[in-house]
Amino acid sequence: MDTQDLSIAEMGRMLRAGTVTAGTLARDALARITARDGALHAFVLVTEDRALADARRADDELKSGRDRGPFHGIPYALKDIYDTAGIRTTCHSKLRLHNVPKEDSVAAARLREAGGVLLGKLATHEFAIGGPSFDLPFPPARNPWNPDHITGGSSSGSSTSIAARMVRMAMGSDTGGSIRGPAAWCGTVGIKPTYGRVSRRGVFPLSWTLDHIGPLSRSVEDAAITLQVLAGHDPRDPASADVPVPDYRADLEKGVAGLRIGIPRAFFATAKAITQEVVAGIDRTAAQLRAAGAVVEDIQLPDYALFSAVGRVIMMAEAFAIHEADMQTRLLDYGEITAGRFVLGAAITAADLIHAQRARRELTDAVNAALSRYDALLTLSALNTAPRFDQPTDALSSASPIQTIPFNVTGHPAMSVPIGLGASGLPIGVQIVGRAFDEPMVFRIGRAVERLSGWESVTLPGG
Amino acid sequence: MTETPSPDALAAEFDCLMARAGIMVPPQRRTAALTAYADLRGQIALLHGRYGPEAEPSNVFRLVPQGGK
Repeated sequence: MDTQDLSIAEMGRMLRAGTVTAGTLARDALARITARDGALHAFVLVTEDRALADARRADDELKSGRDRGPFHGIPYALKDIYDTAGIRTTCHSKLRLHNVPKEDSVAAARLREAGGVLLGKLATHEFAIGGPSFDLPFPPARNPWNPDHITGGSSSGSSTSIAARMVRMAMGSDTGGSIRGPAAWCGTVGIKPTYGRVSRRGVFPLSWTLDHIGPLSRSVEDAAITLQVLAGHDPRDPASADVPVPDYRADLEKGVAGLRIGIPRAFFATAKAITQEVVAGIDRTAAQLRAAGAVVEDIQLPDYALFSAVGRVIMMAEAFAIHEADMQTRLLDYGEITAGRFVLGAAITAADLIHAQRARRELTDAVNAALSRYDALLTLSALNTAPRFDQPTDALSSASPIQTIPFNVTGHPAMSVPIGLGASGLPIGVQIVGRAFDEPMVFRIGRAVERLSGWESVTLPGG
Repeated sequence: MTETPSPDALAAEFDCLMARAGIMVPPQRRTAALTAYADLRGQIALLHGRYGPEAEPSNVFRLVPQGGK
């Protein structure tokens, strides 16, 4: 039996039936990391002792009748911007290479309390923005579908570890698409929950009003189980919403009959970098949803360029405020891409930022209005498949093939789901966007897309 | 912020902003930084002149009585 292909729910059933132990799951995952990560660089730190201790605790508790729920005994990993008590947390940066937090981030604490087994800390673009780069303390993660290609970022190690079948779930963060972008390019599920749904406390900030944290995972169900652990009010996170947490698995298999889904086609149809195979992919998904009983039609939203401008101005201004002192005194300790991006924040005026915040209100109202007529939106996660490392790109340009930032600006929940492989053998993903706090609808449609696309029968790389 | 400045004016503006912020951009990175600044400036131009005084920013806040939501 290859435990790496068991879903979180299947692992849970077998743990409770006594047909597998958390120790076996952890050792299998650690063996897989040892075998594959030398070439892929998903992990910056493997916490083997912690994993085996967590697994022993999980097994002992189940034997003694203590069951912490669906995440009990499940291996997972954390992007290296999540504080972990007593475990180095570097942000993939020279500036924090020796940082050892005293406390867990709220997400890490919740996963530990739910019985999870921590395998280690994962590669990221420096401070969740600067990459892929070769001038940082750790190498960039590589795409398991073809290691000559990038993963997307910034949750690069998270997507690599899942696509390489090292782990079923890895935590990421998403300020402009850092969960959904790598999820799309590596063929994993990745959800950015509603702003305020999951506490950000203890996760190093990139931009306070755009940062979201959430899971990348092998399946929609894995994501729903994980969000159940993470969601909830945290009075010490000023953005945390005091909103009831529903059962995220309750509607998973309800299908899409009768649902109304809008496609903001102009977002991608006129983009310079668009590739026809991803357009064919979203059109195939729309046809499958229609055949399953949904109404799917094109809609109009404000120009993508406006969403992008608002997101970038706010992100750069907030990021510069966070890094101002180090930028003034330690600029050369940042990677070149990171510094090049953060410097732009110093060029944004107060009026620029306030105009962006005024536009943010307009754009959020526009998406809310669309979602008053539709149950969800469907759009592309990226305009293409993952580029090669050696493909010339302007790392400092605003032109990005990742099409995710509109929903960081508006805060709506958005999930990337893989739908197939392009001609190069690299994954393509689509993005499902829901009303605020309506993650159950996002999961429901995502599960239908996952099933209808045939993704579940795709063999993962190295399988 | 809506007009397109000459390359020299853009560079002078960038240098002024960096000096005001206390940032020393190394000479070998200046060309890339200037290109990125011109790109950002184009994005910022989309945001100016768009709203009248009644349009409020997204971070305007409201207070609630203690214990309220």
